[in-house]
Amino acid sequence: MRAVPRAPRIEGRGLLTLLLIGAVGLSALSVPWGGDLVHPGGGSAVGSIVKALARVELSPEFLRITAYAAWTTLRFAVAGVTLALAIGLPLGVVASGVLTRSGGRKTASIVVARFVLALLRSIHELVWAWLFVVAIGLSPMAVILALALPYAGILGRVFADALIDVPEEPLRALRSAGASEIKLLVYGRLTIALPDMLGYGFYRFECAIRSAAIFSFVGVQGLGYQIQLSLDDLLWNEVWTLLIALAALVLLVDAWSSQVRRRLVS
Amino acid sequence: MTHLADTPIIRVENAAKAYSGRLAIAPLSFTVAEGEKVAVLGPSGSGKTTLLHLTAGIIHPDSGTVELGGHATSELGAGEESASLVGAIHQQYDLVGHLSVVHNVLAGRLGRWGLLRSLWSLLSPQDLGLAEDALERVGLLERLYERTSRLSGGEQQRVAIARLLVQDPRVIVADEPVASLDPARARDLLILLSSVASDAGKTLVASLHSTELATEFFDRAIGLRDGLVVFDLPVMELDRGILDDLYHLEVAG
Repeated sequence: MRAVPRAPRIEGRGLLTLLLIGAVGLSALSVPWGGDLVHPGGGSAVGSIVKALARVELSPEFLRITAYAAWTTLRFAVAGVTLALAIGLPLGVVASGVLTRSGGRKTASIVVARFVLALLRSIHELVWAWLFVVAIGLSPMAVILALALPYAGILGRVFADALIDVPEEPLRALRSAGASEIKLLVYGRLTIALPDMLGYGFYRFECAIRSAAIFSFVGVQGLGYQIQLSLDDLLWNEVWTLLIALAALVLLVDAWSSQVRRRLVS
Repeated sequence: MTHLADTPIIRVENAAKAYSGRLAIAPLSFTVAEGEKVAVLGPSGSGKTTLLHLTAGIIHPDSGTVELGGHATSELGAGEESASLVGAIHQQYDLVGHLSVVHNVLAGRLGRWGLLRSLWSLLSPQDLGLAEDALERVGLLERLYERTSRLSGGEQQRVAIARLLVQDPRVIVADEPVASLDPARARDLLILLSSVASDAGKTLVASLHSTELATEFFDRAIGLRDGLVVFDLPVMELDRGILDDLYHLEVAG
């Protein structure tokens, strides 16, 4: 008798997808699609925001304010990410478990390090900021720590996975040349994972700029603070200037990142 | 072939290895004398790689023993002790592509250097003379500071041999060292590998697909099929019939 392959059936995952699409479709029925859905004055507000884009505030005095605010935000981001790297990298190495061979000590160190990393990143930077402002007052240190701790949690987690996912062949060769696990880490794992780790570090640096700008909610200087001041007076032309400066900062980091990575890979 | 010592450098006794219940190496035994060059032949899936990894101490047998220089591989400490006994080269992907050639070659010293010296070497290469001599020997001296990933497959294999020269083990285990090379480059590489072994009286164990290369460069051939030794002969005694038996496919019935 010949074995005839059976026609594929709807499998568990496919069924779940269908159910989820159905749920989204059904939830649209509960939206009141009447005239109350959009705020009636919204249209003219959006119009004035868009019109302000044509007359972005470019007076020398305001540009000076913008530049200084951007500089402040950038400094917070640099300090925060630097500290995050200093905390996240060693924690990530421990969490990857690549330095210990096997056994109870390996499992214990992985679990503890992963738990610390999870704790650090499960609390949002704004909540950390609020905690630190309460604890040590409204100082630059409070902002830097608030940035560094959750970012260390995220970086450490990603670095740990990158160190584990290194291809086995070069490591095996280094091991048979007599390398210990710590030499293996430096010669093999870190070297091979470096481009990915750098790329992710730079991406997190962009995120840190965005987060540092948002810290004006706890009363810190920088681009976010200036945006808030201009928003309070509905000066959309100034808001645009500040937003463009923020985007420019992010773009700058992006360009730097691709330049560094290109040099590393080619 | 001159046998430098009466006690074999490699002694495999009733060694067996299974992966998820399937025997990759059935209990098998053989010995290799110091300075001997042994080719391991056999169809894909016959257990060649497992046998070579056992011999190199990369994995350990489930039962039986593998001894190198009188020490069971399962009891050899990592680091200098095993690195001075046995070194390995694989078909490819053996090097760290992001490191420059000099650091890949000097990685052969990692078993002898302490941690600080190993780290410092990445900034200021240590024992540079050794690396230069080894690279000159394999004809790649001018590529010393190039990024390793820029070299061709054949050149990378030669860098791996330079690393072996720097590591200077008594036994070289080569797993399909020429599988990814074209015939001309494969020959060149085996000329190099076997002369490196001959010059220093090293023992060479290599798995190969080509029986012609085996007869040209090796003293002895071990035929492996389904994890069992089918033959173990001086290469002069290999003939058509023996090889057909080794490679013929079971035709399902």
